[in-house]
Amino acid sequence: MKKNLLKNAAVQSLIASLLCIVLGLLLGFIVLLFINPSGAGEAILAVVKNFWNYSRANLQAKNFGNTLVKTAPLLMCSLSVLFAYKVGLFNIGAAGQYVVGSCACLYAALAWHWSWLPCLLMSIVVGGIYGAIVGLLKAYCNVNEVISGIMLNWIGLYTTNMLLATVKEPTSPYTLHLKTDATQAMLPTLGLGKLFSDNGNVTIAIPLAVLIAIAIMVLLDKTRLGYELKATGNNKNAAKYAGMAEKRNIILTLIIGGALAAMGGAFLYLTDFEQWSVTQSSVPGMGFNGIAAAFLGGLNPIGTIFASYFIQHITSGGAFVDLSKYSSQISDLISSLIIYLCGFVLFIKYAINMGIAKSEEKAMQKAAAADEKGGAK
Amino acid sequence: MLLLVQYTLIFASVLMLVALGGCFSEHSGVINLGLEGIMVIGALGGALMMRALPNSWAALPTILVVLLGAVVFAVAYSALLGVACINFKADQTIVGTALNMLGVAAATVLVKAINTAADPNNVSSEIQYVEAKKKFLVNIAGFEFNWFMLIAIIMLVVAYVVLYKTRFGLRLMACGEHPQAADSVGINVYKMRWAGVLISGVYGGMGGICYILAGVSLWKFENGVAGFGFLALAVMIFGQWKPTRIALAALLFGLFRALSNVYFGFPFLVALNIPGSVYNMMPYLISLVVLAFTSKKSRAPKAEGIPYDKGQR
Amino acid sequence: METPYAIEMLHITKRFPGIIANDDITLQLKRGEIHALLGENGAGKSTLMSVLFGLYQAEEGVIKKDGKEVTIHDPNDANDLGIGMVHQHFKLVECFTVLDNIILGVEPTKHGFLQKDEARKKVLALSEKYGLQVDPDAVVEDITVGMQQRTEILKMLYRDNEILIFDEPTAVLTPQEIDELMKIMKNLAAEGKSILFISHKLAEIMAVADRCTVLRKGKYVGTVETAKSSPEELSAMMVGRNVNFHVDKKPAHVGDVVLDIQHMTVASKTHKKDAVHDVSMKVRRGEIVCIAGIDGNGQSEFVYGLTGLEPLKSGTITLNGKDISKASIRQRSTSGMSHIPEDRHKYGLVLDYSLEDNLVLQRYFEQKFTDRIGFLRRDNIRKYADRLIDEYDVRSGQGPVTAARAMSGGNQQKAIIAREVDKAPELLVAVQPTRGLDVGAIEFVHRKLVEQRDAGKAVLLISLELDEVMDVPDRILVMYEGEIVGELDPKTTTQEELGLYMAGAKRDEVKA
Repeated sequence: MKKNLLKNAAVQSLIASLLCIVLGLLLGFIVLLFINPSGAGEAILAVVKNFWNYSRANLQAKNFGNTLVKTAPLLMCSLSVLFAYKVGLFNIGAAGQYVVGSCACLYAALAWHWSWLPCLLMSIVVGGIYGAIVGLLKAYCNVNEVISGIMLNWIGLYTTNMLLATVKEPTSPYTLHLKTDATQAMLPTLGLGKLFSDNGNVTIAIPLAVLIAIAIMVLLDKTRLGYELKATGNNKNAAKYAGMAEKRNIILTLIIGGALAAMGGAFLYLTDFEQWSVTQSSVPGMGFNGIAAAFLGGLNPIGTIFASYFIQHITSGGAFVDLSKYSSQISDLISSLIIYLCGFVLFIKYAINMGIAKSEEKAMQKAAAADEKGGAK
Repeated sequence: MLLLVQYTLIFASVLMLVALGGCFSEHSGVINLGLEGIMVIGALGGALMMRALPNSWAALPTILVVLLGAVVFAVAYSALLGVACINFKADQTIVGTALNMLGVAAATVLVKAINTAADPNNVSSEIQYVEAKKKFLVNIAGFEFNWFMLIAIIMLVVAYVVLYKTRFGLRLMACGEHPQAADSVGINVYKMRWAGVLISGVYGGMGGICYILAGVSLWKFENGVAGFGFLALAVMIFGQWKPTRIALAALLFGLFRALSNVYFGFPFLVALNIPGSVYNMMPYLISLVVLAFTSKKSRAPKAEGIPYDKGQR
Repeated sequence: METPYAIEMLHITKRFPGIIANDDITLQLKRGEIHALLGENGAGKSTLMSVLFGLYQAEEGVIKKDGKEVTIHDPNDANDLGIGMVHQHFKLVECFTVLDNIILGVEPTKHGFLQKDEARKKVLALSEKYGLQVDPDAVVEDITVGMQQRTEILKMLYRDNEILIFDEPTAVLTPQEIDELMKIMKNLAAEGKSILFISHKLAEIMAVADRCTVLRKGKYVGTVETAKSSPEELSAMMVGRNVNFHVDKKPAHVGDVVLDIQHMTVASKTHKKDAVHDVSMKVRRGEIVCIAGIDGNGQSEFVYGLTGLEPLKSGTITLNGKDISKASIRQRSTSGMSHIPEDRHKYGLVLDYSLEDNLVLQRYFEQKFTDRIGFLRRDNIRKYADRLIDEYDVRSGQGPVTAARAMSGGNQQKAIIAREVDKAPELLVAVQPTRGLDVGAIEFVHRKLVEQRDAGKAVLLISLELDEVMDVPDRILVMYEGEIVGELDPKTTTQEELGLYMAGAKRDEVKA
């Protein structure tokens, strides 16, 4: 019965993902060995342990909460990537959609003093529009969504820096604190913070992100829209033949993808966990890590929840590395190694299936040989 | 004005080099979305050379060794794309994206480690190359001629000749257009695609080191190359995968990129009082507009992006 | 000891997981002869040729060249032995010139640089010697199919190949071009080249081949001299029984007009000339109308225009009295048009979807299958799929949940036919519905088309197969270069007459 289990697609995805993680950590370890052999093992352990690096339970809980706070936006970004990928689109623009989502909610909160729900809706709308640009360009001008996505990432970054410069602290490049200047825009905590030794940054964003992941799964698997979108992703000619509106579906997909990633921005910045630096000169990695999480999660919304947590776990864990030997970016290194390895997932599954086929064939040959012997007797 | 020309030419050189790299890879049938990462690693290789070389070296050997460092690093790195996409038939988009992230992360980790090893208090990801950089420049009546401008022109000619005048070029393009046809006349498609990818590493690496030498004399590797790899892909598409048109497209894009460096030198632009961010996003905006108008009738190699499988025919 | 054989493949066996593609096959090609290799789709012809070219390695058997045993690991080895092939789907790089395509792989060079002048001279000399007219500097995508084929032949001659293989070379040609090809082949044989001619068209084999080897279901059936054989004998050898290609059908009861097309014009994607020009026709209840023609004469574009996959440039389409010229694909489908597409993998199926999901591809949005909020009604889909699978005898590993990808071609086609026919269409558009199917499946498809006609539906069949064109429909319309050039009655016309129309040699004014 073991063989049947291996044939199961979900089990294969799980095996492939675990393999990617193990190999990614191993390769990361080897890189560290080259840089400085003395502390490589410790450094990898520090990354993997993340908040367990603290010995006191309340600090552990608090930092576990912090990791979760950043998992929520990451999950949203990876859902954005996943959703588009199911329709055959590679939404690398999630990074920029996340940026404009952050911009929209911060601006609405700080400049217009809106409360949290309209701020969140603002992010969704702006992100949707931003995604729609990619969709329109793809549907009507045949522009590769990866390249237009990257361009829009940078456009989004500079626009955001420009806009948020009007609501920043006078003496620093950071935007004003919501806690002091726009408490009405803070996401409600519903007392969730108490579970993490009074971590005030733990908000409804976390359960909301998980619920959205489940909703995405239901949408894809159980509804007419999901049936259409996946058909378009699998075979766009057949989808067209069956009368599905291909262009509309591409645009709709990227609107939803944009809204999801933008919501991620709101889920982080409306907690006041971080402030936006208007002098930053590179696109935040959240959207790119979302790609890692989407593929590591086997392109399954539920798998993505765990994968997002894992990616954020090691990213946060990077802070615990002995900085005299390595930099905290080793967690970026590991997660990008993991995405690279995710490119091999198809091959891993193929290898598993070939292995099964071979062993089955052998078993059949054995059985046939046994039959012949039996016949001879 | 001279400054604008100077910056235009140097940025155009970068874009052209990298776009030509993409051109080789795509003509062989592999979409190289990892050019950004390849540039970073190439820049790293070159910067490490500049850091290591004594200042007493003459200009020519310095330039050659720096170039060699960049090329060797970038080619080795592009092999990661080759293995995954050619031999293991991985999704070229995922692998390219991974290489971009990995390039920045690996370079940052490495440079920080080197800096920290030299000075325990230095945790930056910067490499300085004030002296070495001077060797790349020749001042001609106020115009800073950069040797990379010449290198870019040479590499353009090389690309043109290789693609259109040699046996190798003919076979390479056949693999990107119709790999089954190439295979049927005994051309090893895998080998040619490997060649395409590695050559894109050569060009990408040169572009990378050229980019960090363009404006400043120190580089912070955390920043990557600011989407230049993708701008180069836009240049390549605008140039319709043809070297000469790529060169012209690179000049146009180079001009817009240069504006963001020197707009404050033009009184009338300053008078417009446009925030710097607008100039910064100019090249990206322009490329988006250009792509919108040129992508419809693209002459992309027909088989690009499709892993070649000998068994399927 | 001199043997008369240029190449011999003796007792070749090649297995794939699950099937034996070649089972003890022997093929001996004499020098200077034209030798036909005959067999149905899936008989093992392609596998055998792939073995000869070193694309596959045979598990058993030997290959001999001029009596000496040789091993062939890849196409280079085959080329070194002087074996060349014109593939059914040309292996030409479309954006290269004719000359570049000919020299690709054997380019004359000096220090790595191409020496094209030298090559051009050789090509021109060859083209003159064998009467193969080409323009070496034309780009392949701009030239005719016939010239593309001549380019392929020149590719072999340029390499001084002695053994020339033609894989179904006539499928894409007009009868005139076919005649010319036959002449060229005879020329080549007279010059001492040995030719292997792969085909399933009996008439052509009888006309040109000296001998014929027949394969059936991966097994060797026999080799005969064509002069001493007959089409009937070859046909029986090919299919294993004397098949009656004739389709039994009752006289047609023709009713009202269902489809009325007036002055339809569809632009071409690749050329400046319109792919379909000013086509008018009618299809009535209770009749099967067939559009015949050589591949590439605008049939595909005609279907795209009719079904809505491509917009019309001008003209009107009326379905049951309703103007659908500008209607979307979905509107046409719900107005009563069903479409069995030409390419079932490209259009007909979502291969990664299950069989049941594919069976509702045209109706998933109906209330029966989607509730008011937009959720799929999985239970109804399953029930529906079970019924179709049962009624149309669609066979698959795991029933409704089998991935379409895992099904055989014949069963995939059955699934598409089940889906399109069960929609109860007013008009059934069937485009090459029997392509790549075995004899049993072909009979099934033809029976279903006739059933639809007898049920009072209008059927429009688009076919490239002459047998099908002659047997299935009640009326034949011939399409040539995007225009309808003749209307024929299958009961009174002959294949020869049909051929003249298909080649554009004869045309009438056809009014719809």
